[in-house]
Amino acid sequence: MGILEKTILDWSEAWAPLVPLAIRMRHRTQPSYLRPVVIYVWFAFFCNVAIDVVWKLSNRISVPYNSNNWLYNLHSVVRFGLFAAFFLRLRQPFIVGLKRAVAAGFAVFVVVDFGWFERFFEYQYFSSRLLAMEAGLLLFYCLQYYFYKLREDVELEWSQPDFWVVTGLGIYVAINFLIFLTYNELSAYYTHFAVDIWSVHNISYVLFQFFLAKAFYESTRR
Amino acid sequence: MNLPDADFKLLILVGISVMLLLFVSFLLIFISTQRRRFRYQRHLQQLREKQQELLIKAAVRSEESERLRIAEELHDEMGALLFSAKLHFQSVRASENDLPLQQKGQELLDEAIRRIRGLSHNLHSSILQEFGLLEAIRNFVSKLTDDNLIQATTALDCECAAVFRDNEISIYRMIQELINNTLKHAHARRIHVSCVNTAEKFVLTIFHDGEGLTQERFDELKFRPGSMGFKIIQNRLILLKGELLFTQRPNGYYIDLFLPVA
Repeated sequence: MGILEKTILDWSEAWAPLVPLAIRMRHRTQPSYLRPVVIYVWFAFFCNVAIDVVWKLSNRISVPYNSNNWLYNLHSVVRFGLFAAFFLRLRQPFIVGLKRAVAAGFAVFVVVDFGWFERFFEYQYFSSRLLAMEAGLLLFYCLQYYFYKLREDVELEWSQPDFWVVTGLGIYVAINFLIFLTYNELSAYYTHFAVDIWSVHNISYVLFQFFLAKAFYESTRR
Repeated sequence: MNLPDADFKLLILVGISVMLLLFVSFLLIFISTQRRRFRYQRHLQQLREKQQELLIKAAVRSEESERLRIAEELHDEMGALLFSAKLHFQSVRASENDLPLQQKGQELLDEAIRRIRGLSHNLHSSILQEFGLLEAIRNFVSKLTDDNLIQATTALDCECAAVFRDNEISIYRMIQELINNTLKHAHARRIHVSCVNTAEKFVLTIFHDGEGLTQERFDELKFRPGSMGFKIIQNRLILLKGELLFTQRPNGYYIDLFLPVA
């Protein structure tokens, strides 16, 4: 991989949200259920820029402020919260109680995990446990969305924005569940492999942002 | 880490691929199941519509043949009977005193013969069969004009009517029903029937200056049990895949009948 390609890939988390944001700037009116997704894209942009800047300038920033791991933890918590809100805002009358319980369960998990077992501002690693749990639960939300759509008496249209959001998110979390789950171990024992596998995460993240852009675009066409 | 490095890395990569494959397979199964289900539902819907169309066609056909039978019976039997009665009545020599009575009786017989003929023509328009839809409408409207009560005019210079050769009777019945309703309920003093044709549709417009219907009122009435006239219109609209639009404008009411040109 050339230097240019590597640089583009390394910074993909920072520039990828600009794609849906550009669509959003062009088509400002979005349905209310997409509001959490819009907020997420803005948050992801600023958070990922901060993550990449801290990483690139880690040699110039003093310890312990040169670690971006807590930003990954923060990103994970915010992402789950906003996408859980998105799924609940879809108002699909299907296992509503369970969906709310899953959101509440994640909040309890965050409190317990960072209260007793891990440190939110850990210098060395981001929380593999947190990110994997988040990916698993978001995957559950995505699958229940499809199950509900199968029961619903409405034909799926390719122009449905929620379908693109859920599909993009589903692909992202399906690819990254194992990466997140094993990343702490990988970076401890297989550092180079961990760096390489993070590129897979970056590619899937770009794909995810393209799906969100498609959702924003479709919502204005309806 | 007990596994050899290469095996562990492979395991991770396989795991990621399997997760992705599972998700994509799930997505594909979801999409194909949804499509198959709705294709089947659409097929059922088409069958249902086809069946409904056949039923309406049969009902319209039997209604028309019944109308024809009654019209023939009225014209050939009742008409002939009354005419013969009139001839017999004329041949009776009445006394001086009974002459006004005989004259009144003859007038009544003439009126009965005229009404029977009118009724028979209304039930089965021979003009429609011989000269086509527009001429039949023109003829029907011209008969409505009464100098003191109502002014009925037409502007039917379209060339599209030939397209509806098989369904002319249905269109004619709808126009007949709509105008009869206008006369009966709207108390109009002016009626004007016109038509416009494009490549896609043929539009017949009835304008009147009475107290007409709004679209909401029509939608409400057509589903009300007992509204026979609206049922006739609704069934024929389904059959012709047409649309009826009621509009109120400052100068009066417009009823537009849109018919797709096949």
